[in-house]
Amino acid sequence: MFLQTLVTGLSIGGIYALMAVGYSLVFSVLGFSNFAHGAVIMLGAYLGLALAVKLHLGIGLVLVGSIVGSGILAVMNERLAYSVLRRRKAPSLYLMISAMGCSVFLENLVYATIGSRFYAFPEFFSRQVVQFAGSSLSLLDLAAFIVAFLAILALHVFVTRTKTGIAIRAGVCDMTMCSLMGVNVDRLIMVVFLLAGAFAGVAGVFLGVKYLVYPTMGWVTNKAYIAAVIGGLGSLPGALVGGLILGVVETFVSTYVSSVMRDVFSFTLLIALLVWMPNGLFGSDTEEKV
Amino acid sequence: MDYILSVVTLAAINMIAVLGLSIFTGFTGLFSFGHAAFVGVGAYASAILTYYYYVPFFVALVAGAFAAAAVSLIIGVPTLRAKLRSDYFAIAILGFGEAFRVILENLEITNGARGLPGIDSFTTLPIVLVALAFSVWITRNFLKSRYGVACIAIREDPVAAEMSGVGLFRTRLLSLVLSAFLCGLSGGLMAHFLSFIQPVMFTLVQSTQLLAAVIAGGMGSITGPLFASFLFIVLPEALRVANMWRLVAYGLMLVLIMIYRPQGIMGYQELPDLFRRKISRSGTK
Amino acid sequence: MAHLLEMENLTKDFGGIRAVDSLTCCVDEGSITGIIGPNGAGKTTVFNLITGVYRPTTGAILLEGASIVGDRPDVIVGKGVTRTFQNIRLFNRQTCLENVMTPLLQRTPCSLFSALLRTPHARRVDRTVRAKAMSLLVAMGIESYADAKASTLPYGLQRKLEIARALAAEPKLLLLDEPAAGMNPEETRSLADLIARVHADFNVTILLIEHHMDLVMNICSPVIVMNFGALLAEGRPDDVRADERVIGAYLGRKKRDGNKAAAPEGAEGEDRHAGARR
Repeated sequence: MFLQTLVTGLSIGGIYALMAVGYSLVFSVLGFSNFAHGAVIMLGAYLGLALAVKLHLGIGLVLVGSIVGSGILAVMNERLAYSVLRRRKAPSLYLMISAMGCSVFLENLVYATIGSRFYAFPEFFSRQVVQFAGSSLSLLDLAAFIVAFLAILALHVFVTRTKTGIAIRAGVCDMTMCSLMGVNVDRLIMVVFLLAGAFAGVAGVFLGVKYLVYPTMGWVTNKAYIAAVIGGLGSLPGALVGGLILGVVETFVSTYVSSVMRDVFSFTLLIALLVWMPNGLFGSDTEEKV
Repeated sequence: MDYILSVVTLAAINMIAVLGLSIFTGFTGLFSFGHAAFVGVGAYASAILTYYYYVPFFVALVAGAFAAAAVSLIIGVPTLRAKLRSDYFAIAILGFGEAFRVILENLEITNGARGLPGIDSFTTLPIVLVALAFSVWITRNFLKSRYGVACIAIREDPVAAEMSGVGLFRTRLLSLVLSAFLCGLSGGLMAHFLSFIQPVMFTLVQSTQLLAAVIAGGMGSITGPLFASFLFIVLPEALRVANMWRLVAYGLMLVLIMIYRPQGIMGYQELPDLFRRKISRSGTK
Repeated sequence: MAHLLEMENLTKDFGGIRAVDSLTCCVDEGSITGIIGPNGAGKTTVFNLITGVYRPTTGAILLEGASIVGDRPDVIVGKGVTRTFQNIRLFNRQTCLENVMTPLLQRTPCSLFSALLRTPHARRVDRTVRAKAMSLLVAMGIESYADAKASTLPYGLQRKLEIARALAAEPKLLLLDEPAAGMNPEETRSLADLIARVHADFNVTILLIEHHMDLVMNICSPVIVMNFGALLAEGRPDDVRADERVIGAYLGRKKRDGNKAAAPEGAEGEDRHAGARR
């Protein structure tokens, strides 16, 4: 029972981690909370759904399609809603408000146009289960966990080994200096949002497959922000760890206490963590230069 | 005529909540996506008191407001410390709003997701107007006092504020508590006007509407957000706009305001100031 | 003279960088003490440590014999230490009067109840504070700007406003961080007079960071010299000026043909640093 709960928790944690990484990536580079990230995840789910249902594509192509589509969506989001503010060096709170506006706009646009109906993905993963050390893990959960793990690993390699990746890490430290060193900052930011969008797309598809697709999926995607805060805003390993911890804790609460109070518990965990570790698990405590 | 009166009453009730958020966001500079939860606390607390315990209306109203203030401490105390990152607070209060809704949906006394119907409609327009006037009066007094001045100092420059003797944590907390109080008052009035409340009326959607009114009206202004919130209620009614399209508009508006006019309509000034300037300008001619 | 402020082995590390290195010195009550040194010597960090913005890694800071390490900045203000900032930090959207009223109001008790209901007591507090703030503006000579927004003031007057606001908290010790930055020689002279006047009229001890040597040498005594976070020299202005180590690290020396030799971080009468920083 314990192991089963742990395993299930890790798999949902993998999805949370995927959601959190995209958000934390943007935060670490641009220093603001991209609250539109949840909406991009939601749109990624719808996109994947359309590809699966209308074009009858398999899970692999659906993922690819969603990755590309969400990536483009995220870049467009940046261009339209953030780039002007960024160039003006507006305070990060302005960007956060703009992001929230985008989120509300997109969510309700879907609500008003496509409708509030809950949609289901076609059966991609048969109801097979994999036996694993005495507990069973559905094929879907296993796939989600593996994809999450591989994707984050790939991101890590990208960020540490490739030229663009290193430029991103430089940008995290000092964007101005980066541009003075000859980095095309606009292009760099575009890459960052492409990545964030890609992760959002994958997360959206898996969320949609695991549960359902509907306009207010944002309520689930809020977990992305909580997971990122738990891990420490701006830290990519933090996003991964935060997501896993959140998933595991939630599943344990769901199983042993009450499935209904699950969200209350997530919130309490967040508050408790902020009280003891104001910067999350891996966040950095930066003292402002006065 | 009845319809117009009810729209105006609803608008006035909303204005009190917006005023509350304005203290926290417009004058202390902290962004909150969760103040609808405080409206909800006030609504449910006062409704439960009048519905189950036959408490007199005004007592229940005030109790609801104080309940909201007390609840705000739950989120305020852990998150408003000195080395605050505004993003952490925003996310925390987002989660708080969510958790609040879940709690509402799962308590016996709140009747769960079905909501509480049959609340006595004690609220009338005159009562709301008195409450609004009172709220505006104490807000103005607050802002002129050492407490309000401290809030504004934090908004302008937290470091310089500390160096002027302002305690960051206690000032932010006071700002939150006062703003929650006014939101709770608004909630109590609303519950006894609509006669029916549901958890889904106090979510991120409503929080965003409150915030949109404060930002569109202008930070650092009392008249601006009051005007904007009035507009936000009355205009959609007049134009017969469906609820979800209103939200599409709010979302778009937030983005456009940030890009083109971040100070909103009345940023950092009040309506009377505009008239004063017009008079002095024509005088110097 | 008693020591108003004492620092013992004060050290501050930021990760791998040691910004302040075992600094031991003190500020005498009633003095105008100067701190000079090249950029990056840790002078502003010392100010930040004294005012509680940073916590020392090790070491002690004593105000009138009592430790203030670990106190919150607003508590330290309450104990009598205020400051101005290198890059002026005013409440930009507030008027000059409101800027100066802010610290005064924090020092004047008024219960929340009285404030919210605007009782006669609250109104009296408001009147008294307003009058006091006005008198401070008059002392600085900027009373005509009382109702102007702080951001609209010319630079030199913004500095004065910041000093007025710092004085509003009725400090025992006033820390001035490069008050003459960006000023020409005439403005600097006038500022020197102002500081001397403030010192006399308000009975306040002043600790001053500056790069303008004429300002420092004329009104400060003693002078503390810092380099690489550590104390390099201290003493009377003339002694410090003649100290070989100080000359080598900071001041530079006149060449025989009358031109100054380039010092590592020369500062005689020039404010290229302040200018470059702005």
